[in-house]
Amino acid sequence: MKDRISVLMDGELDDRSAAQVIDVLATRSEAGGEARDAWRTYHLISDALGKSRMLSEGFGERVAAALAAEPTVLAPRRLGGAREPRRWVALAAGVAAVSLVGWLGFAPQQPPVQVAKAPTPLVPKEAKPTVVALPSGTNDYLLAHQAFSPRMSLVGMAPYVRTVSEPAREARR
Amino acid sequence: MRTRALGAALVLATSVAQAQSPEALAWLRKMHQATQRLSYVGTFVYQNADRTETSRITRHAAEDIEKLEVMNGVPREIVRTRDKIRCYLPDSRVVKVDRRVDRDFPALLPDQIPQLARHYDISLGETQRIAGLECQTVVLQPKDNLRYGYRLYADIKSGMLMRADTVDTAGKSVETLMFTQFTPGNVTADMVRPRHEGKKWRIEDAGAVPTHLAGWGLASELPGFHKVTELKRRLGESRPVGQMVFSDGLAAVSVFIEPLESRPDRAATGLASMGAINIYTREVANHMITVVGEAPAVSVQRIADAVEFRRPPQ
Repeated sequence: MKDRISVLMDGELDDRSAAQVIDVLATRSEAGGEARDAWRTYHLISDALGKSRMLSEGFGERVAAALAAEPTVLAPRRLGGAREPRRWVALAAGVAAVSLVGWLGFAPQQPPVQVAKAPTPLVPKEAKPTVVALPSGTNDYLLAHQAFSPRMSLVGMAPYVRTVSEPAREARR
Repeated sequence: MRTRALGAALVLATSVAQAQSPEALAWLRKMHQATQRLSYVGTFVYQNADRTETSRITRHAAEDIEKLEVMNGVPREIVRTRDKIRCYLPDSRVVKVDRRVDRDFPALLPDQIPQLARHYDISLGETQRIAGLECQTVVLQPKDNLRYGYRLYADIKSGMLMRADTVDTAGKSVETLMFTQFTPGNVTADMVRPRHEGKKWRIEDAGAVPTHLAGWGLASELPGFHKVTELKRRLGESRPVGQMVFSDGLAAVSVFIEPLESRPDRAATGLASMGAINIYTREVANHMITVVGEAPAVSVQRIADAVEFRRPPQ
């Protein structure tokens, strides 16, 4: 399946097979999930090699340099030649390793912060913010904000309970 | 007592979990899948320093619809479908409608889970029994003081998250969401329909659309928090506001920008808190800036203080 997704991404899959692969990608089954994962991974790889802005500067070059040791993988495509398992599959393992190493290198060099240490203020007045009552319409802000919390994917909509809480509702009256 | 145990567990977690444990990441994936896959009815408790509230949550997996009903006080309901969130407020006969502008966003996708390790040390904790189910604890310990930590308890069998504690940098729990009863399966489409028919109710549609808020930005980004979206919408009855969202992959902070003249009142400059949510308000260039985030006060305030307006070139 992964091979066919890879071939599909290169636009080299015949219509019937392409339709089958797309059907699998659209299903809610476990196979569909795996197929979508592969789809995302291969696009990530393709983005990485295309110097996507999401990645740090020079990532593409570094990946390319690391892959230079595997000339067969990066060899130009043979025009009209026999179809081989496409490169996205082949690259996945290599890039995973490279990106892990690269990632460690790119990670911001933040010294571990002591838990008890006070936050470093950006400006002195940050030390003691004035504490105020919840602004009017707090629930509206929360409702607007909540949908953007990535955490929703782990906990479902439970945090929405905040948006209809009584005390915050009182504040708007 | 629990707080102390929590603190101790967090310290322990930090000392043993410098490297990310693949098992812990696998558990996050398992929770994610369970959240998407299961139909269930559950009762859960929301608790912060100020209050405790009980709600019921019903999920119909086939149509991906969730309904949340608050059990205390005036009955309130929120129904989330794939692309819309409707909030029914019976006492004021109002339905608030919020569309999700990008369906895939801001979901934490399984392949993004390992990236959380950039800002959190993720490790497995002890097992514990919650709502009659044996649960595995996963600890996310932040690597700096700009984000909260989390203790997540997942049902060992299904992977469903049964309890989530948000923990501050001192190891103190600021907010807990916990199922007290959980029944998977046997949910029909009827069970997730809103109880209230909003026919004669006033509809407040946020009308959110992605946009570029010309001139607005942050003088400096908060480490690890990147801008993930920018949109305009309406708040409350019709106030137009701009919204920028910053996220580290797990926590999110929204910056709301609204013209002073459209506000009903002048909000006070300063910090307000509600459980894990901190809200900081200040004025910038004749606009009220309201920063709302599930992040420590220092982060919310630093983002608020960094908001600036530069007149775009004509």
